[in-house]
Amino acid sequence: MAMFRREIPTAVLSFVGVVILLAFFTTLDIFETIKGVFTSWIPVISATSVGLGLIYMVYAQYMNYQRNKNLNNLIYLVVPLVFFVIFFGTALVVPGNISSDAYQWLYFHIYQNVGGVIYAVMFFTLASSAIRTMRVVTKDPSGALQFRLEAAALMFGGIIYTLRQIPLFQVYLPGIVGFGEWIMLVPNVGGGRAAVMAAALGAIVVGIRTLWGKEKTTTEVD
Amino acid sequence: MIKTGTYLDLLLMIVIVAATYYFYEKTKDPTWKPFIRHIPALDAIREGVGKSVEEDKPVHFAMGQSGGQLYSNLVSMTLTALAFLRHITILCAEHGARLIVHLPSQTESIPLIEGTAREGFGFAGKPEMYRRDDMRYYGRGALTWTQGVTASYAEEGVGLNLSIGIFYSDCPISLEMAHIMGGMNVGGTGRWIMVYAFAMMCDYVFLGEEIYAAAAQVSEDPIMISGILIEEVGKFFVYILLIVGTLLAAVGLDVAALLSL
Repeated sequence: MAMFRREIPTAVLSFVGVVILLAFFTTLDIFETIKGVFTSWIPVISATSVGLGLIYMVYAQYMNYQRNKNLNNLIYLVVPLVFFVIFFGTALVVPGNISSDAYQWLYFHIYQNVGGVIYAVMFFTLASSAIRTMRVVTKDPSGALQFRLEAAALMFGGIIYTLRQIPLFQVYLPGIVGFGEWIMLVPNVGGGRAAVMAAALGAIVVGIRTLWGKEKTTTEVD
Repeated sequence: MIKTGTYLDLLLMIVIVAATYYFYEKTKDPTWKPFIRHIPALDAIREGVGKSVEEDKPVHFAMGQSGGQLYSNLVSMTLTALAFLRHITILCAEHGARLIVHLPSQTESIPLIEGTAREGFGFAGKPEMYRRDDMRYYGRGALTWTQGVTASYAEEGVGLNLSIGIFYSDCPISLEMAHIMGGMNVGGTGRWIMVYAFAMMCDYVFLGEEIYAAAAQVSEDPIMISGILIEEVGKFFVYILLIVGTLLAAVGLDVAALLSL
């Protein structure tokens, strides 16, 4: 049984991974063709995933309601289904399908507005957390100078860049514009690139470990 | 036969594969114990589980609304998040804390996530602590996901919120709401563009690649830990490139053309 759950999936994973790598590094068309076949499965898996997600969610909500029959759980079960039927039904039945006025109205007047509200909430959360960022506090138990300097640099850079965005300071303190830009384009870009490279190296190591069949997260789960 | 423009990539790949082989051989020696820098956020996870037990609130684990990607170039973060899930499951089982897992929208990864959680509870000797009800699925869409997650914080409380994985615009709301609800935030992502949210909102943060190093540490597996050293070899390769590139540029050579070989 373990062979079906571990060895065979690992072998398939390694084979597909090696083919994809060969398609990336070599000029041989055969690997590019096989890669095309493999990657053409992505939309199939993705589409299946949507269907499975609906079934999974309905089942989970139904079981949740069966265990705890209160009004909230009934609403969680019924409301998504009602909206699903309305959206899906409109897309299928109304002439013009998703281009129809009815579907467009549902999309632009319900779905998009709800999304806009949640995005607006996100900016409030960013504003409230930005205040904490401006405090020179480090929670490192050692309280080492290195961490205090890091916290101070974060605060300093944050304040300069924030002031640079405010028209009042742009007028009365014109030097802050150039300084703010410099922080954004020099230390920020340098540090960002280093972080991206380090994260990419980490991803490569995980990838090679997976192809080697040594990735614990994919081999230890029953 | 080798594609133009990939020579340097291939060289880096060969260096890392060679380093991988070398360090895997080293792991066969039981006396070999490499020094690994300690990451404070790892202690914070245990502290947060303790806090949750004291406050009688659940521990929340999220790997992002898009955190279940198994066929994209971000798959390494999915695997890393699973390592953390196993770790937090074991910690919750040991301390008797309730664990709520907010599942990503990618249903194809759900068996892997559920299996990891079940295996973690089983490993800790408390398989009965695995509750299917606490595996929450909210469908597609980052904004749908954040509503579900924050509703769970509000209704059930939050002691520790461990968020590690692939995050987009879903993380600012979920992290800040956990903080507002009195929860302790520990988390990180390998997506550099969203690291700012974690740095601002988390009590303890794994910065970028630290999630890979920390995942290896929590696994307590020599092969996983050797991955950190392999990463270091890659970094030294990059340092060499930087130094050589700077010197060559100083003498007037077109380094950009060399790098695009």
